[in-house]
Amino acid sequence: MKKEDTTKGNRYGMVIDLDKCTGCGVCLIACASENNIPVMYDESDKTRNITWLQIYMVTNGKEFPETEVIYIPRPCMQCDNPPCVPVCPATATDKDPTSGIISQIYTRCIGCRYCMAACPYHARVFNWFDPWFPEGMDRYLSPEVSPRMRGVVEKCSFCHHRLMRAKAKANVEGRRDLKEDEYIPACVEACPTKAITFGDLNNPKHKISELIKSPHAFRLLERLNTEPKVYYISTKNWVRRMADNYLSGEFKDRS
Amino acid sequence: MEFNRRNFIKFAVGGTGGILLSPLPWKLIDDIAIWTQNWSWVPVPVRGKFSYLNSVCTLCPGACGIQVRKVGSRAVKIEGRGDYPVNQGGICPLGMAGLQILYNEGIRWKAPMKRVGPRGSQEWKEIPWDEAIDELATRIKGLREKGSPEKLAAIDGNQSRSTMALLIKRLLSSIGSPNYMVMPREEDTYDMVNFLMQGSRGPIAFDLENADFIVSFGCSLFDGWGAPGRMLSASREWVKNKTYLVQIDPRTSNTASKADLWLAPFPGTEAALALGMAHVIIKEKLYSKEFIENHTFGFADWFEEDGVKHKGFSRIVLEKYSPQVVENITGIKGRVIIEVARKFASAHAPIALAGRGKGTLPGSLYEFMAVHALNALKGRVNKKGGPLIADDIPLAQWSDPEYDPVAMDGLKKARVDLAKTPRYPFSRSLVNKFTETINNSHGSPIDTLMLFSANPAFTIPDSQSFIKAMAKIPFIVSFSPFMDETSLMADLILPDHTHLEKMADIVWPTGIQYPLYALSQPVVKPIYRTEHSGDVIISLAKRIGGPVSGSFQWANFEEALKERVKGLYDSGREKVSWADIKENGYWSIPAHSFEGGSDIFQTPSKRFEFFSTEIELAIKAYSKGKSFDDALLDLGISSKGDEVYMPHYEEIKSGADKKEYPLLLFPMELINLASGWIGNPPYLNKTLFDHQLKRDDLFVEVNPKTASQYRLKEGSKAIIRSPKGELRVRIHLFHGAMPDVIFIPFGLGHTAYDKYLKGKGVNPNEIIDQVEDPLSGQPVWWNTRVKLIRI
Amino acid sequence: MDLPLIPKGVERCSLKTFAPWMFLWLLIMAWGLVSAFLCLYKGLNQTNMNHYFAFGLWIVFDLSVIALGAGAFFTGFLTHIIGKDELKAIINPAVVIGFICYSAAIATLGIDIGQPIRGWFIFWHANIHSMLTEVSFCITAYLGVLTIEYLPLILSNRKLNEVPEFNIFGNNLHHIVALFAAAGTFLSFFHQGSLGGMYGVLFARPFAFREGFLIWPWTFFLFILSSIAAGPSFTLLCVWITQKVTGKELVKRSVFNTLAKISGWLLASYIILKIIDTISWAYGVVPRAGLSFMDFYKGSYGIWLIIAEIGIFGIIPAIILITPKYRERNHLLIIGALMNITGIVLNRFVFTVQTLAIPVMPFDKFMGYLPTWQEWGIMMGAIGYGILLFSLSYRYLPLFPQEPEINPVKVFGHIITDSGVIRRS
Repeated sequence: MKKEDTTKGNRYGMVIDLDKCTGCGVCLIACASENNIPVMYDESDKTRNITWLQIYMVTNGKEFPETEVIYIPRPCMQCDNPPCVPVCPATATDKDPTSGIISQIYTRCIGCRYCMAACPYHARVFNWFDPWFPEGMDRYLSPEVSPRMRGVVEKCSFCHHRLMRAKAKANVEGRRDLKEDEYIPACVEACPTKAITFGDLNNPKHKISELIKSPHAFRLLERLNTEPKVYYISTKNWVRRMADNYLSGEFKDRS
Repeated sequence: MEFNRRNFIKFAVGGTGGILLSPLPWKLIDDIAIWTQNWSWVPVPVRGKFSYLNSVCTLCPGACGIQVRKVGSRAVKIEGRGDYPVNQGGICPLGMAGLQILYNEGIRWKAPMKRVGPRGSQEWKEIPWDEAIDELATRIKGLREKGSPEKLAAIDGNQSRSTMALLIKRLLSSIGSPNYMVMPREEDTYDMVNFLMQGSRGPIAFDLENADFIVSFGCSLFDGWGAPGRMLSASREWVKNKTYLVQIDPRTSNTASKADLWLAPFPGTEAALALGMAHVIIKEKLYSKEFIENHTFGFADWFEEDGVKHKGFSRIVLEKYSPQVVENITGIKGRVIIEVARKFASAHAPIALAGRGKGTLPGSLYEFMAVHALNALKGRVNKKGGPLIADDIPLAQWSDPEYDPVAMDGLKKARVDLAKTPRYPFSRSLVNKFTETINNSHGSPIDTLMLFSANPAFTIPDSQSFIKAMAKIPFIVSFSPFMDETSLMADLILPDHTHLEKMADIVWPTGIQYPLYALSQPVVKPIYRTEHSGDVIISLAKRIGGPVSGSFQWANFEEALKERVKGLYDSGREKVSWADIKENGYWSIPAHSFEGGSDIFQTPSKRFEFFSTEIELAIKAYSKGKSFDDALLDLGISSKGDEVYMPHYEEIKSGADKKEYPLLLFPMELINLASGWIGNPPYLNKTLFDHQLKRDDLFVEVNPKTASQYRLKEGSKAIIRSPKGELRVRIHLFHGAMPDVIFIPFGLGHTAYDKYLKGKGVNPNEIIDQVEDPLSGQPVWWNTRVKLIRI
Repeated sequence: MDLPLIPKGVERCSLKTFAPWMFLWLLIMAWGLVSAFLCLYKGLNQTNMNHYFAFGLWIVFDLSVIALGAGAFFTGFLTHIIGKDELKAIINPAVVIGFICYSAAIATLGIDIGQPIRGWFIFWHANIHSMLTEVSFCITAYLGVLTIEYLPLILSNRKLNEVPEFNIFGNNLHHIVALFAAAGTFLSFFHQGSLGGMYGVLFARPFAFREGFLIWPWTFFLFILSSIAAGPSFTLLCVWITQKVTGKELVKRSVFNTLAKISGWLLASYIILKIIDTISWAYGVVPRAGLSFMDFYKGSYGIWLIIAEIGIFGIIPAIILITPKYRERNHLLIIGALMNITGIVLNRFVFTVQTLAIPVMPFDKFMGYLPTWQEWGIMMGAIGYGILLFSLSYRYLPLFPQEPEINPVKVFGHIITDSGVIRRS
């Protein structure tokens, strides 16, 4: 496959420091309330409920009292080489060349779910049910994000409407470029431990560009060449080992 | 052209083909595709002007700053306030989901309600506010006329120093009832520790951001302890400053996983562990000599004036808590104890914290004292990075209420919960004893019970006993905005606003290290016919009339609050006005005044007391007319001699037979599962893992070794049985759980609220077999013996 | 009662026998219609598909029937383009089976997508990079071809043929049938190949992914090969079942032999290529993704699947079908064809369900999937529709040109050849 030039334009990305993440779930809730995500009676059905940002709990598998637990918040990886985009038959999802964000047009999606089969991160979810908000709760819906209908696929958009909002503001002020903290997704903003850093990977001045150079930085399933723009940091070897598949002897410890 | 069949077919085929080639049909189908999906059940958010309002989240006493995004008159999103000192941008999951509390029609009382059917039948009649307040006023007046105002009781869940709490307390005392109770919480235990060892009442604050070595004896620092927003913000400081964190926890909690060292002593032996550390510090002379010599009492042996010799704290600890002994009690290796103690002692700013879980339930008094003794050994009290004695916040005092003879007589009567009586001299209130007294009485010593910001029928350990007691109380008035378990059993509902619809204050949020007064403001106009409980109390007092009315001279709650707040800007320490405080949402002195010296200790000895003179006085008073040993037995203290007055390890007794009930049920609190009086909002359900809740089944965490003894696999169904009852659960195998302990989360198993919450999981409070903590009488809620039955 | 509709020179059972047979399949179709209504009205929550199993039973069914329907284009190709006249005996049933398979697949897909009303967006907003776009275009176009191929057959119904326009139209179509056979072959090669490509390009799903040469042309040809290996076997099986049900010999035994031989050799070559493909995948894609071969065969989707797919239902039927001695025995012929079909269906199942069942992230969970009665309903309804349409076609259309020759109609001991239907005077 032809590799496209990813050095141009903005390439928004994220670094999630798993040493700082306490798994509190605020990012997930901030995301849900920012993006008008519906609720079901049975939210315990993780294979059917709607979340754009899923949190995985992972243990090191050791016995008491050597057990360790970490949490992996997983938004859409916004891959530079997205497996989901080329498969969509109706061009309902695309990579925005100016931001690197993978868009999803809900009103065009036909609900074939091919993109979900393509994504190994389970970042895409399908509306098996009609969107539902308990009685009275439609009063907090934000007009910035349209609620999705049954039968379409949806996913994390890096709060694209916030990018639009920031751009509109910059436009009014006659600026072309956004400041580093001017556009950040709701989950990043909400993280109480500031475990998530957001920025433009193509901008060397942004903190994120420095962070991804850390020997402890990694991405999920890097070997599959999806080129995710969401990075993680952990000083723990077992955590980094957990991020990808390795044959025995392949993984190098970097403590 | 002749119109025949052939031509007709030609025309039809040609015409169809022509139309199909034009964009018209496609455009039409496109329109139809969109039009047919204007489904009425997919909501369309209403547009409007964006605005942002600052306020404070008062869902817990943490008082995090929030910013609410509004569209028109609707609130659409809650975000943390970055410029707010408590939380610096971070808020907890519950605070984040606050709009699901405000707007959830299914859980809220929409107007004052009067019960019409039998209790529990849920037949209600909507009544006007006037009628509702009159009904309560008449009842209270009746009690006063009969000369028994003490038959009125209140259980209050508001933060103890808040204006709301003060107002409720004032109402009860001006009516003449001593039976004002607060919901049990960790702060109660700290209040006693503060009083017994340091001589001041009130909370202890912790300068955690400036500590470099933290030993948490069970506080779930990252799971909602203290002000959750502040703790999560603090954690990033710790990562930056390389603060060493030791977490003591029987389970790999989030905090344990994030800690530098995780120790898992047997639950209930934390005091022994603390004293084991003290042993090492004393033995190796690693303590602060300056502080011990100049500012403490009872460290070394001493003689009373009459020549009676007392053993000092140091001697007792050296004799009784060697690492070997402590290893046997706690299960923690002696060398680990020595190592941690040395590290603690050599740190620049070490701090030891006592607590359990989120700190919403009380702890054991002697255990807290033992842990706090570590702080004293290193002389950390009121030092940067140490435990602080709260500075006064210069709020103005209201004038004393007026008491008429009825009130004065009533206030002289003993409290139904026995708190502040010689038997329980230090506890402020004991809801567990209140329950017990009512259940043991013929009839009910309480006629009318008022409930504020609390849902004890769900949150109180051994909730079934509380529900039994409620059934005996003739008249129950709930001020809850929510259709919770307790209000559904009430006779009269006077619904309060939710936190986003009203003004409320929190005085010195939990654990914050500097004085702060937080003030929330209404973010949206009340959406239902609810009234601010503060206003209702003032109007109720006016209708009761007489001196009660005279004690509530304010027009409304805001006036009463403003009168207190006036003290802040009159104090002159900060040049602010009412408008500033309202706008900012807080008043604060940026840093604690680390005033050292001995004058900080208000104990009889004017020093930090390892040997508590207050305990000595109290036990002496209680043992009048009975043998000393009997008195100790009564008080639940099993040790003898001078140790009784000092921090020491008491084995927590349990009524249940260990053979019959071989396992321990340890309730845990999760940051993403609301377990207090606020029901868990649906968004928080999203954050629960499917190994915690699956459909309606709650999972308990069990060590695989323990599970295999009962032939239980991942997901197996089982019954947990305690002497109080049983719960049906499923098993989650978790290596991080201590063997022989079952970990069960608080917060599920509601029988009230809406269908998004009701019936999901089980409530551990139902089977908690609580015992009394020695001396304090607080419920020990984490020590229920149970057995596991496979089904 | 329906005698005027029945083709000349053949005998059909009475309507009294035929009606209950039809009723049975209508009943099953009704099950399908109820399921379809529920899925359209209430949404896909009526299925057991989920975020992990984005594809389920229906896609397996679609892929399978499209592979099995390949008998149509391949027989057409052999008959009209290669000129294998012997196969003219089964070209009609092959076309009908093909039409049934493709129309059933498209109908099922219509239910399967979450927004059926927007299905045509594939054409309107086509993404030319998507294999599914290619598949959709080709399948739709090919269904058109099949319809055109089916049409003259329908028009040759005795009653319809009496209409002069139909007669002329049908005859004209007959003359250009080779053109459509060529178009069908072209389209089929494309979509059978792209159907394989659909999975082969999922580069983040190491179980399905094939790289470089192994995706193009290898995987494409694997899917084409497997479909043209299974197609004739399926046609064979359908005809054989028709013979059993009607109790008549409809085509000559030699035709079966030819079909089996073609099927067998294609299957044999497919299996060899498939084994090469599997080995190079196991030593290429798999270790590069940090996985080992056995990582993919866990839980209920164990190693037995690949043994069954390639060994039991691949190599064995290939041997049966290519060995003249074996395929000449009726029961072995049928077992061989059946096993061949099973192997290919298993292959389509593995590529769909197993691909999705295997977690890629090491900390992810392995999921299982069982369809609901609604999902079975759609599939059974489609099968019911197929049998119904085939039965009607058999009864009212001259499906088997060899039938009158093999089964001469006798009246009072006289063979009636081309003189029309017997009327009672």
